[in-house]
Amino acid sequence: MADIVNLFEVEPGQTVRLHGNATAEVVSNPRDGVWLFVRYLTSPDDPDQVGAEDMVFAQDVLELVTD
Amino acid sequence: MAITFQPSAYSGLVDQDNGMVSREIFVNADIYAEEQERIFTRAWLFVGHESQVAKPGDFFVSSMGEESVILCRDRQGEIHVFLNSCMHRGMKVCRYDEGNTPIFTCPYHGWSFATDGALVGVPFYKDAYHEELDKSQWSLIRVPKMVNYKGGIWATWDPNAPDFLDYIGGFKTYLDILFDGWDGSEGGTEIIGGIEKWMVPSNWKFPAENFIGDRYHNISHRSVDLVGIGPSGQGRRDNSEREGAKSLDVSFPERGHGTVMFLRPEHAQPVPSYQNDPIVADYFYQCEIARKERQGQLWRILAGPGTIFPNMSFLPRQPRSIAVWHPRGPDQTEVWRWFLVDRSAPPEVKEFLRQYYIRYSGPAGLTEQDDMENWNYAHSASRGAMARRHHYNYQMGMGYAVTDFEDGGLKLDGTVLDTTKARAGEQNQRGFYSRWREFMAARDWDELATWRNGNGSAC
Ligand code: FES
Ligand SMILES: [Fe+2]
Repeated sequence: MADIVNLFEVEPGQTVRLHGNATAEVVSNPRDGVWLFVRYLTSPDDPDQVGAEDMVFAQDVLELVTD
Repeated sequence: MAITFQPSAYSGLVDQDNGMVSREIFVNADIYAEEQERIFTRAWLFVGHESQVAKPGDFFVSSMGEESVILCRDRQGEIHVFLNSCMHRGMKVCRYDEGNTPIFTCPYHGWSFATDGALVGVPFYKDAYHEELDKSQWSLIRVPKMVNYKGGIWATWDPNAPDFLDYIGGFKTYLDILFDGWDGSEGGTEIIGGIEKWMVPSNWKFPAENFIGDRYHNISHRSVDLVGIGPSGQGRRDNSEREGAKSLDVSFPERGHGTVMFLRPEHAQPVPSYQNDPIVADYFYQCEIARKERQGQLWRILAGPGTIFPNMSFLPRQPRSIAVWHPRGPDQTEVWRWFLVDRSAPPEVKEFLRQYYIRYSGPAGLTEQDDMENWNYAHSASRGAMARRHHYNYQMGMGYAVTDFEDGGLKLDGTVLDTTKARAGEQNQRGFYSRWREFMAARDWDELATWRNGNGSAC
């Protein structure tokens, strides 16, 4: 299993893999260690989400896909 | 033994006809708890200054009574005041003193609120709440009434409270002197430096009544006057502008506010002040000329310390500052002090004032230290079983005030006690405690807005 992601170090533009098998690009980081603002890139379980912006919770961020 | 006070009991505790106040109201835990409900949820309270939240996302954590509140400016530029308590389990949402943020995230389970208070982030919203939680119902609690008056942000928890200017009444004249520029320009002030915060082991009403008009305790500050911390090297203030002035104590007992002031003679002219620095001296001299031009007769008012009921006090001139006496139990007060300067003043002037302010006020200020010693020793010596059986005496100057004061064509609102010869009086304190009694006994604002029935009598 991937290491726990330290949200304080995540930068806008990076890609994260999320709970529910989706991936998303980080739009901005409020640096509260709890949330990220993202845009969905892939979402096999819910294709309508692709392109949508959302807030994702730290425990739903499984790993950093790119640096 | 816990004592439950019925509203009628408060007239025995504050005996305004005889100028006596029971020590119980300063030391009794049940009365203190009642104050939180009856005063601090109903009165207008000072929260902060707009210059502290200048940009979208700026926030300042303040206090209304015992409760923490967030003053912030949202992304659209609108200012809000919220209860700093998460809607899920009550966690303090924001534990910083001030800063800038896109969202307020609760540290307990992670609920997240936008800067307009809306609940925007709920962990496991899909899986655990099945998207059934109606987020729109769980925004941060917003004060029902808030106002930005000349940069000062005020709020009340009572939706039925009168509008702020109705709450202030004729005291507006003195509040304006605090928030307007020294040259009289509308709201031309800003906060300089950080907010000083410290604890005083005393009931919150001790400092509130001291600032409302206690000229009598001048003796406490004799050592400061001897040291000469003032901006012209003597005393603690510039007293030359008070030459020939009348000394007046002005009270608005129907509202609880009051101030002391000096009224310059009718044909007075500006005099030099802030003599320790020529640039600063010139700045203030020019401002005085401009204000005299702008305000005419009102320029004659040299406003001194004052209190807006219940717990906001201020010094509009030297040193220009605001204090809020946050209640933290019957025996503890958390003091917060803001310092004001003219927004358009040159940097040298602002720096000069900053130095003067910290010499005078705050936990390390020489003058404020004198006051704190009085408050904390008076409080602790009033708590004992024997001490609290006896009332304090507020009889000075009873029956000598007028409600139609006029001098050289200048009429003053309120109940005015001329203390030029007497040098001290206690009518402002009597006004404060008679208002305190009304707040403690009244059911609602229909009863509290007594001035609507023409009440404004001397006390
Ligand atoms: S108390 Fe704030 S999220 Fe639970
Ligand atoms: Fe004092």
